[in-house]
Amino acid sequence: MSVAYTAVQWNRQKKFYDFALVGGVALYLVTFGAVTEIFFPFVTEEILLMRAFGTAAFLLLHIILCIGPLCRLNPKFLPLLYNRRHAGVTCFLLAFVHALLVVATYHAGGDLNPILSIFASSPITRSVAGVPFQPFGFFALVILFLLAATSHDFWLANLTAPVWKALHISIYFAYALLVGHVTFGTLQGETSWLYVTAMAAGLGTVLGLHFLGARKELEKDSAWEQKTDDTLVDACAVADIPEKRAHIVCVSGERVAIFKYDGKISAVSNVCQHQNGPLGEGKIIAGCITCPWHGYQYLPETGASPPPFVEKVPTFNVRVNNGRVWIDPKPNPAGSHAPPALLET
Amino acid sequence: MNHDFYIGWEAKASTEIRKHVRWMVAGLLVMTLGLALAFAATQQTIGISVFEWGTVKKFSGVLRLQPYPHLLVSRPGKTSSNLNFSTYYLVAPFKFGLPREKLASFDGKTVSLQGTLIYRSTQTMIEVIPDSIKAGETKIDWLPDGATIGLRRQKLVGEIVDSKCFLGVMNPGQLLPHRACAIRCISGGIPPVLLVRQPDGSAHYFLLVSTDGRPVNREVLDLVAEPVQITGEVERQGELLILRADPKTIRRIK
Repeated sequence: MSVAYTAVQWNRQKKFYDFALVGGVALYLVTFGAVTEIFFPFVTEEILLMRAFGTAAFLLLHIILCIGPLCRLNPKFLPLLYNRRHAGVTCFLLAFVHALLVVATYHAGGDLNPILSIFASSPITRSVAGVPFQPFGFFALVILFLLAATSHDFWLANLTAPVWKALHISIYFAYALLVGHVTFGTLQGETSWLYVTAMAAGLGTVLGLHFLGARKELEKDSAWEQKTDDTLVDACAVADIPEKRAHIVCVSGERVAIFKYDGKISAVSNVCQHQNGPLGEGKIIAGCITCPWHGYQYLPETGASPPPFVEKVPTFNVRVNNGRVWIDPKPNPAGSHAPPALLET
Repeated sequence: MNHDFYIGWEAKASTEIRKHVRWMVAGLLVMTLGLALAFAATQQTIGISVFEWGTVKKFSGVLRLQPYPHLLVSRPGKTSSNLNFSTYYLVAPFKFGLPREKLASFDGKTVSLQGTLIYRSTQTMIEVIPDSIKAGETKIDWLPDGATIGLRRQKLVGEIVDSKCFLGVMNPGQLLPHRACAIRCISGGIPPVLLVRQPDGSAHYFLLVSTDGRPVNREVLDLVAEPVQITGEVERQGELLILRADPKTIRRIK
């Protein structure tokens, strides 16, 4: 969290994260380059680099896309998510170098403008060759650029969280374009079983993990049978909530995080103002609800970030009766004080 | 310290979480190393070809412009093909062929030129430095046999490639990933060649021309880098194999 914008708020974990990220990318590029030079000494350098950077970008994109569902399935993966945006920017830079090499090698130096050549040099026919894989890559790169350029919290605050989130969901569209780019491009030349299997395994892993993550969320939402009196909804037993943790329920289509802390119960929207992270999977640290994704914090009674921070989430009125927590399904405006329910000691 | 929860801005994570992160990072690095090794080692399209980029040499011989510009260079000693000359295709830098009209006055005459060698298997090409072609100063003491020997009508299955990239400027310089580049090269005047692979892995190269011997660069653009079947008359001109065929009869094979 920050009041003023700085390029990167470095901390110990971010340094370790970026060290591992850059080290991993360098390990891939050097290994790919060295092994190719040993096995195929006649390869031309620009194609070696084009392949090294292209495959590195696509591999990193798979890892990035798997982090979200992995965290939903097991919170132990959360440290991978904390600085994921740096991985995203790195992925764009790798793809950009790949694209520069492709344009300089395949499209420049001819009788047509290199950018026009991307679109005009693959005549559309009824064969597989007629599927123009280059434009798929071009549009995917445009999306990766937009996401990298708007990855800073400056854009998140100025675009607003819903718009920013909607924009960044387009990573899945970019991924679909890249699957087409690779399938109708590289895989039409490199036909070894390993390349085809790796492509299928990558796609299967991304889709499979998202399916499992979504199913887990749905199971959580539907596991709870909603009972109501005139105005309040029976949410859960007090005993269901671990100390300084939350129990998540879905009320009137919205997920609500009910926290137990210091002999009190409070409820807030489950959606973090920062990047829509699941507040209910967070923890109370230093008296504040702390989002598990990037550590944004909110006071449980008001849903407001402690001063000088300005983020706010809606709160819900709560009651405790006979060991059960009842909540008003109508949310209070973001940042409104909702008195916590006191637990009998 | 929280033993079951850690957020990046906290000073330190619990031992349990640190241990898990170390395992995750180690696992990812091992996967990265393994995939880099596997992807690099199992590439199938990189052949044996050379582009002597940065090395300029002087050549002299007889320049011929038909069907595509080439240079006949004296080859001393006995050779298996019983020819006393070698045939080098000639192209311009980047994705362009040599301008035939400009060179018309040199056709069939002795010239000297400077350029960079490109070669693969039995085929050799020179990327000629613009304006380096001069009328030959010395008389040649050998006479290239320019006779064309008709072989027979053949039905050939292969891939149309741009000869410059395939012979070594790019490696690999064939198949669909290279298609856009091949189209630009052929469109710019680089000779199109039908590459016919033999079951033993060797290859034959046929320069493509129309039935009346004209270049067919424009006509074959939509058929580059795909499996095609071409029926036509094969003839030999020195070391060159030439396939005369009507471009309209070229069939795409699915």
